[in-house]
Parts: sequence; C-alpha cells; structure tokens
Amino acid sequence: MAFRIKGRWAGLLTALFVCTGQAEVEERLKVCAGCHNADGNSVTPGIPSLAAQPRVFLENLMILMREGLRGSAPMQQLLKGASDREIVAIAAHFAKLPARGEAGKTDERLFAEGRALAAKYRCGTCHLPDFSGQAHMPRLAAQREDYLVDILRTFRDAPPPGSDTLMNAALYGVSDAEIRAMAHFLARTR
Amino acid sequence: MVRTAIAAAVLAAFASAQAQDKPKPPPAWQQGKPAAMADSKLAPHAGKMTETPASEIPIDKLKLPKGFKVEVWSTGTPGGRAMARGDKGKIYVGTRAIGRVYEVTDQGDKRTTRVVVDKLTQPAGVAFQGGALYVMAIDKVLRYDGIENKPDVQPVDMTAAFNLPPEQHHNWKYINFGPDKKLYVPFGAPCNICEPPKEYAQIRRYNADGSGMEVLATGIRNSLGFDWHPKTGELWFVDQGRDWMGDAGPEEELNRLAKPGLFFGYPYCHANGVPDADIKKADPCKGVTKPVTTLGPHAAVLGTKFYTGSMFPAEYKNTLFIARKGSWNRTKKFGYDVVNVRAGADGKNAKVTPFLTGFLDAKEDKFWGRPAYLLQMPDGALLVSDEQLGAIYRVSYSGGKKK
Repeated sequence: MAFRIKGRWAGLLTALFVCTGQAEVEERLKVCAGCHNADGNSVTPGIPSLAAQPRVFLENLMILMREGLRGSAPMQQLLKGASDREIVAIAAHFAKLPARGEAGKTDERLFAEGRALAAKYRCGTCHLPDFSGQAHMPRLAAQREDYLVDILRTFRDAPPPGSDTLMNAALYGVSDAEIRAMAHFLARTR
Repeated sequence: MVRTAIAAAVLAAFASAQAQDKPKPPPAWQQGKPAAMADSKLAPHAGKMTETPASEIPIDKLKLPKGFKVEVWSTGTPGGRAMARGDKGKIYVGTRAIGRVYEVTDQGDKRTTRVVVDKLTQPAGVAFQGGALYVMAIDKVLRYDGIENKPDVQPVDMTAAFNLPPEQHHNWKYINFGPDKKLYVPFGAPCNICEPPKEYAQIRRYNADGSGMEVLATGIRNSLGFDWHPKTGELWFVDQGRDWMGDAGPEEELNRLAKPGLFFGYPYCHANGVPDADIKKADPCKGVTKPVTTLGPHAAVLGTKFYTGSMFPAEYKNTLFIARKGSWNRTKKFGYDVVNVRAGADGKNAKVTPFLTGFLDAKEDKFWGRPAYLLQMPDGALLVSDEQLGAIYRVSYSGGKKK
C-alpha cells in the first residue's frame, strides 16, 4: 500500500479496503493508466482511448479478454485473475471520464469523405448518430485514428468473438481507403 | 464465402452499400432488412457477463399462478442458458459468448458453482447420459466421463465424429438425448433469411459416439428447444421466426415431428402460412408442416419442457412449458416470460397461457431478466435459467397450504 498509518486504525483501514476491493481496483487503474493514460484518453500509438466508452461495452470486453477470448496477449495477461467486481469498477471509472482525444491536423477532404462513408454504412444506427456508442456498442467518436484503422481492419478480415455477432461481416467489401477515411472522420468527431 | 443466393430484393437493397464488385451478404442479423427499416435502431440487446448477487435480483417482481412460488436458487453463472442434470444431481450449464460451462452443486441450504471448461466458442449445448457430460460448442464436441465423481477428468474430444459445418451464425446449440438414447442436434440457418446450404436449417440425431447421423427434419430456421411427448414419444420443438418483417412477426413456432422427414417451411413459408417477403416461390406453403401453435412475434423461444412431475397440480401433467427470452427485433418488447402450452397429443387445440411473468415492465418497455431454459427436478420443481443475470430460479407449488 502506498501509505502508512500506524496503530489500530491501520488494520481497520486495510480491512475496509479489502472488503470493498477498492485497493485492488486502485492498483489496477494505475496499470491501465500506464498505457491508456490516467484520464482514459490514450496518447500512445495503437492503444485505444477508454474515456466515455459505454460501461457495458467495457465490462463485456474486459471479461472476454480475461477469459482469453479477445484482445492482445498483454491485455489477456493483465486481466488474468481480475474479479467481476474489479472489472465492473474499472468499467464504471472509465465510462465516467470525458472523451477529449487529440486527433492532430484535419484533412478536410478526408474528413468529408469519412463522414459520407459513415453515413452510407449506417455506423450511427448502433453506435448512435453522434457515434458516442451505447450498451455493448463502443464509442467511435474521439477514438484514436490509428486504433480505429486497426480495429476496423480486424473486424473486416477476421471478426473476433464478441458479446454478440453484430459487427461480424458489417464491413464486408469495405476498402482500406474507406477505412482510413472513416477513422479520420470519427477520430475528429466530438 | 457467399453462402447462397440471397433474394434479389435483399441484394438490391444492399447493392448500393457494397463498395466492391464482389458483394458479400450483409451481416446475418441484417439480412432481409427492407429499405423502409433501414434507419431502424433495433439491435440485439447487450448480455451481462458479470456475476449478479442474489441481493440485486428483483425476484419479487415475478408473478405466477396462485399457489406457486419462485425463489433464487443459484447465482454466479453469467450467461448461463441450457441446463443438464447429472445422475448424482450436479447441474451443468452452457453459455454462449463467455465460452464457459458451469457445474452447479446443491449443498442443501445453498448452491456452489465452478467452471468445468472455458475458452470455447459458444458452448451452449450440454447433455448428460451414461455418467458422462456432453458439451457441444459451435466447433467442438467434448465428453467428460464420470465427471460427477471426477471433477478433474480430461475430456474426450468427439469433434471429428460429429462433422460440424463451419458457419457460426445460428449454430450455437441446444442438445439432448432422446428416449432412443440418441443425441438430437439442431443446425440453424446461417443467416436471418436465405436459401440455406444443405447442412443447415435442420434437426439431426446421432448415436452417442457421433456415428449414424440422420437428418430428421428440415425447413427449420433456428430451433433451440425441444422435448419428447411423454405419451407418444414424438419430438416437439420450437423454432425462432425471421427478423425484419415487422412487429407482427412472422410468429415463432411450436412444431411436432409426427414422422421423420417432414419439412417445416423455412425459408419460404413461416408460422401459420406466412409467405416470406424476400425468398419467393410459387405455392410457398405447399408441403409444409404447420405448427402446433404459434408463440408470438420475435419472442425468442428457447427452453421447451413437458412437465411430468407430480408437484404441480394435475392439470399441468404432460403439458409443455416454454421459455421466451424476449424480443429485440420489435419496436415494443415482447416475451420475457415462461408460457404453458396445453394441446392434444396429436397437436390439436393448443392453448398458450402465461405462466411466469414480470421480467418485462411493459409500460416502461424495459426488461431486467431473460428466462432461457427449463429443467424439471426430481421433486417436481421447475428450474428456470436467467441468461441476463446469470442466475437460476426455482419454481415450486405448495397449493397455498404453506408459503
């Protein structure tokens, strides 16, 4: 523990922390912050932002990672042994933080193209017209551009198991250029 | 992999959305979606994949006929669906997304659970025979011999013998052994609406070792619940109706297989003779076996169980209980209950009555639980799994004598 309190209060405080699981959650949040940033808006290439993601989406994704069914090997390793309660608390934490991803310079032509494509492919049906996501469907707005390109390609080429089969095949026939345009637009959507 | 010809109308509706010259079918859940529904926000509901303690289950909201009661029997089985009871009373529970099979042990005053196997692709099918647990995932079949005595027993991989086809959609399973000791396995249509390839849209049976496969019935979109009539031994099964044809249906079906080889209409003819909106042919309902009864639009019929116990009043003997997990492809939610179906042994004069309700607040159009599967216990009580809250409820009858 990061602090020391002497005497019998220390025992009581420790007991309280253990009971609520708050200490474990705080420890895990520190680890999350290492890559995803403390405010949940990632500044690291390839690492997604978690801020303002729908709580259920974060919960389900972390569970699938813990179960070894989704995500990268490091994420599966990090979540190994995480309890449901810890995952629920971590999800609630990031769901409450505001999304403010910095996306860099805007290419107006690419942005307009991406907006038109997102409309054409009806992304807003499930992810909502403002792309803020809902329930088990993630926020796309203000997500990192490189991560969006990566995950959209993954869903097109080899859909991973999810809490539903919703997104499987939703990107049939979408080109890399279209994916880049949509990612450019979505990353700059607030 | 283009599965089959999708109706021209479906392709036309999506052709504009396809960027490349080789259009693939739209996502299975979206196939058959007419232009008028293009902006619909209907989508499958989110499952909950974390544990829900009993204290957070609003069990008091559930309603039953007079003299019945319901209690939380066990918790801690997120995503738990179909249940199979071992010879020694352990209960095995399959799941979909979370990839686990649970074992629930009754300790008398409480129940404990453990994970038997995880990391499987939708291991929804569980069945028990001859001291062995059978687990069927979309792409794997495992047998655990003597598992009730040997919790760490390694499974026998039976996958090769069953020769499962590759498509995932609608191919999570409900499985069970029939009175003939054979394993009955459904293969759903890998789409919302399409001409299914020949391995799909059917119910088969196998010998327990995977040999002797027979296709028993075809024209079945997605059957995830069945049982055998206690008097005639005939197979009765439910079938989920297609999406995107509107709030009215086509309704889900309860069917009866009076003899092997019957055709139940999919994809041309649904429910009580509703021609399909996309896949058309002349005389679409000709040669189609009609259902015993329909079971409501988009209700997501699952667990199907003839009641043969003696705890419930005599009028329930040999009647059917059916769990309706509840709709997503409907502007107002429907189902979220367990119904009782009474019908003649010949399937005539079927009457559907609500039995266990209260999961859905119709006024708010909100649900808190989703009843999925049913299991009759030796004492005649009925277990009901709630896939949403990962819990199992116990329905019992005391006739108002004591509560």
